[in-house]
Amino acid sequence: MDADHLINVAAVAKWGRDVGIYDLMTSRWGWPIAECFHFIGLCLLFAAVGLFDLRMLGVARGVQLRALHRLIPFGLAGFAISITTGFLFVMTTPDQYLHNPAFLLKLSFMLLAGVNMVLFYVVAARTVWLTGEEDLPPLRARVFGAVSLLCWLGVMTCGRVITAYRPPAYFWCPWC
Amino acid sequence: MSVWAREDQYAYFVALIFHAWGMALLVGGGIVIALRVLGAGKAAALPKFRGFIPVMWAGAALAIPSGLVLLVAYPAKALTNPIFAIKFACLIGAAWLVRRLMRIDAPPRNSRGLAALCLLLWLGGVAAGKLLLHTYRILTVT
Repeated sequence: MDADHLINVAAVAKWGRDVGIYDLMTSRWGWPIAECFHFIGLCLLFAAVGLFDLRMLGVARGVQLRALHRLIPFGLAGFAISITTGFLFVMTTPDQYLHNPAFLLKLSFMLLAGVNMVLFYVVAARTVWLTGEEDLPPLRARVFGAVSLLCWLGVMTCGRVITAYRPPAYFWCPWC
Repeated sequence: MSVWAREDQYAYFVALIFHAWGMALLVGGGIVIALRVLGAGKAAALPKFRGFIPVMWAGAALAIPSGLVLLVAYPAKALTNPIFAIKFACLIGAAWLVRRLMRIDAPPRNSRGLAALCLLLWLGGVAAGKLLLHTYRILTVT
């Protein structure tokens, strides 16, 4: 299946130019500064979410999970920074991303992390608030933590190899 | 070895991936400790956050060797760039501040100010690392 059948890549590129994102991002410092903020956002996200996951898996016992969860808003702020700058990258050169298997896999990991997060709050969060500060949370909470951690490491991994799978290397991409 | 790191189909990207994981763990641990000293999650006792120090060591153990591979691949690119020195100044300063903040027996007087500085240095070090890609003057000597 061709991504063009789902999304009109040319129209996205035109929109990016029309609203000025293209000019902003192709200016001397536009793209580099956006990349810096993309990584700063990711660091905040991983700090808050990744280390909460690690605590659920038994790292740093003694840190009360309920208290550690108060850092999650910083992770959300980081996520907002990374999503915004990521959106700017994609709108500047949509053909480099929408045909790119590494980028599509990265989005899949983010979607899985999102579903995992919702299920965590519905199914397991209450048991985590009641977990003693030296204790492990119940198994199902630990599974959510492990999935979350793997998803975000997967997001980073895919992000790092996006440049390796860039079109016109169409032979990388089974559906292009 | 430099040529291998630069031209092998996988070596450079494998090093990039490990560098990203390592930095995420190292900087992630540093950010959490800095935020805690700044007052987030106060209900958890600060000394218990020492448990995240091994996470930071694990991150350093991943990031430093992979960083050396990246450096060996393009030594002239990084070593001629003042941003590279800034990156290390930020990261070493941030790591030193984490050590200082976690000395529970003798907490620094202005711990919140130092924690804010520590947070800025971690994020500044990451931003400087990213800027290396865009600010080099010399890619390879030969």
